Amino acid sequence: MKLKHFLQFVAPSVTLMLLLMAAPLVFTLYLSTQNCVLDLETVTELQSTPFGTQDVLTQRARTDARGNAIQLCDYVGLDYYKKVLGIATGPSVSLAKPVAAPPNEFAAALKFTLIYTFTTLPFVLGIGLLLALGVNQITARLKGAFIAASLLPFIITPVVAALSIKWLFRDNGLVPYLLSNVGIQVFWMAEAWSARLLIIVYGVWHSVPFAFIVLYAGLQSVPQDSLEAATIDGASRWQRLRFVTLPHLAPLIVFLSLIHVMDAYRVFEPIIVLTQGAFTMSVQYLTYFILLQENNPYKASAAAVLTLIGILILLIPLLIKTYREQRGGR
Amino acid sequence: MKKNITLQTVVYAGLALWLILASLPIVWTAVISFRQYIDAFSSPVKFWAPFTFENYERLWIDRAFYRNFLNTALITVCTVTISLTVGCLAGYALSRYRGSLGFWLLMVALVFRAIPHSSLLPSFFTLFDAIGIRNTYLSLILVLVAINQPFTIWMLRSFFVNIPSELDEAALVDGCSRFQAFRRVIIPVMWPGVVTTGLFSFLLAYNDFLLSSALTSTEKMTMPAAIANSISAESEALLMQGVAGAVSITIPLIILIVLFQKQIVGGLTQGAVKG
Repeated sequence: MKLKHFLQFVAPSVTLMLLLMAAPLVFTLYLSTQNCVLDLETVTELQSTPFGTQDVLTQRARTDARGNAIQLCDYVGLDYYKKVLGIATGPSVSLAKPVAAPPNEFAAALKFTLIYTFTTLPFVLGIGLLLALGVNQITARLKGAFIAASLLPFIITPVVAALSIKWLFRDNGLVPYLLSNVGIQVFWMAEAWSARLLIIVYGVWHSVPFAFIVLYAGLQSVPQDSLEAATIDGASRWQRLRFVTLPHLAPLIVFLSLIHVMDAYRVFEPIIVLTQGAFTMSVQYLTYFILLQENNPYKASAAAVLTLIGILILLIPLLIKTYREQRGGR
Repeated sequence: MKKNITLQTVVYAGLALWLILASLPIVWTAVISFRQYIDAFSSPVKFWAPFTFENYERLWIDRAFYRNFLNTALITVCTVTISLTVGCLAGYALSRYRGSLGFWLLMVALVFRAIPHSSLLPSFFTLFDAIGIRNTYLSLILVLVAINQPFTIWMLRSFFVNIPSELDEAALVDGCSRFQAFRRVIIPVMWPGVVTTGLFSFLLAYNDFLLSSALTSTEKMTMPAAIANSISAESEALLMQGVAGAVSITIPLIILIVLFQKQIVGGLTQGAVKG
């Protein structure tokens, strides 16, 4: 295919990605160094109160010719990054007591995001592998039905899944009731450790089917000769798994780990549903919260840029792996 | 090999346990969606309770959830159609072009696929407000198409690579232009790949909560964004409507699994097993 034709064919796709992904990212970088405020003017208004009419000073935004509020923007450099990272800003020489630094929101969010990512990973791979080995053993007729049913946690709308789990664990829900029968009393949504545990349970539950299906597909191509040879040589079931099957699955396990890290880094729905940020935050939630609750797109941009730096660092192994494969495949 | 009865039992028990865990949240939600609040969340928990359609009635008729359903239908259909049209052209070109530009496009797409969506929101807010297209169906659809593109072109490319290039080259020799070769020769044989990719595009658009809840206001919201106000539900009625909504959102997905199980499983293993 000629370069000219290639460019014509990819043009619509590339245009969309440039306009709605690349350009917004660059713009986010710009926004994160800005601070805009409404151009306020003080006006005297005549107001009628129960004590008669009187002049009241009020503030209102100046508007331009089209009636839109005018915003005054300033370059503030790294101020918002410092705010998000909890580094104190302001005059360095102060007569008053030093102001306490704001909490390091980003570090807190990043910490839980990474805890979530790396505690779910071994469970996702382990349970996925056990299910794949198990399904490999059962009769063919049941396989299709089992695979279909086990897809549910992966396919279901994440916000719905998180809500369902919340309803299952809330006061007077099914799980606390069953647990109270064996003498365990936990208010799942009321404490930090249990809320975090629920988020991690959600993460494992949601990601296991993908790992299971990929590993199951991988098991179909394990060389049968090697397995039989190992059996004849007197290898136990465990030894065959350890020395024949697992080495064969290793590339898939690497692949699954990389995809999981990428996807877990974006965890969002269980955070907003299960704790509403009360005990714990993720990096995506932090940006969303600053933008929609604090209503500050500039600070949110700073959080977004830090989030992006994080994912780029996590992506490096995946990029190197893909680079080698794609180059090697040519 | 001798049958190991103990092992078989353990295997079946383990698989059954996973099935229960996998389906319990939504099954229990479905059960309590047909109850009044006092029966749905009671102490002790009731396994049998009077049956009622009230929650669904309130949600679909009084709260006009059908509007959110129509929004979802409109947004997902448009997103999938545009994604596939744009993605097929790019995916085909990527599978046939040998220069290094194609490789770099794929690498950039891989980075884009990993971008957390909330990072794009501050820009979308500011830019869409500036040109006055915030809170329109079109802006949400285009955003969903764009964030879908990296995945779509990777997946479609891997399908097109498997269609022998002799097919379209023969057409080129016979005097077709590149586009005619694509339209007459490739399109008729590409449907399995397009269906699978389309399913995943559908899931992404249908399941999206973050973008849809941030970029649209109540009357234009999709179903997942619309039930979000039951997250912090203070009122019991609102909570029960959320329960009914959760079940309503899940039913089309269950139908999807039943109809397209093979394609979904095939799509999931596509990228992994090949490399």
